Amino acid sequence: MGRFCVSLTSAKDNRDKATVAFVVANAAAGSEQETMVFLSTEAVRLAVPGYADDIREDGFAPLAELMAKFAAAGGKIYVCSPCFKKRGLDETKLIAGATIVGGAKLVEFLAGGSPCVSY
Amino acid sequence: MQRGQEHHADDHWDAGEMGCGELVIELRTRLRALAPRQVLRLVALDPGAREDIPAWCGMTGHALVHAAHPVYHIRRKEN
Repeated sequence: MGRFCVSLTSAKDNRDKATVAFVVANAAAGSEQETMVFLSTEAVRLAVPGYADDIREDGFAPLAELMAKFAAAGGKIYVCSPCFKKRGLDETKLIAGATIVGGAKLVEFLAGGSPCVSY
Repeated sequence: MQRGQEHHADDHWDAGEMGCGELVIELRTRLRALAPRQVLRLVALDPGAREDIPAWCGMTGHALVHAAHPVYHIRRKEN
């Protein structure tokens, strides 16, 4: 199984990017790639349960649904620890598939040989 | 790949306009639900399916036994 990373830095500040990032992540997970979405800066808010519930872009499934399908398919969501802390979010409440990580975990995933697409 | 004839199918899924990642992650689930070598008849209207379905089959190891957009017959792999 190959690896695939999707890096996302937007949440409600750019709903289009946030949605398309998870559509592509689902394409990778659905194609049997070990897939990880890295949420950093503003995108870490997506790891908070309920936050994505009102993000619905025309022509796409609702973001919360895309994220739930991604997690159900075994997709991993890495959440930038300092970005999460900076925003005062509760690290004990995360969506399915999400894990708070530092930079070393991201580097480990990528250094093992993974392409990465960024939004 | 063959064209112009009827093909056996064990299951059918009309994906409508669904495309890109939404299509293939659902397709993955539906193929996994079949027994090895069973065939899914897929109808996918999204224009990207013409390129995506053969690519997806190549990556996952499922066999594309027939393609005549928007209809695709996909045989589940052994495991």
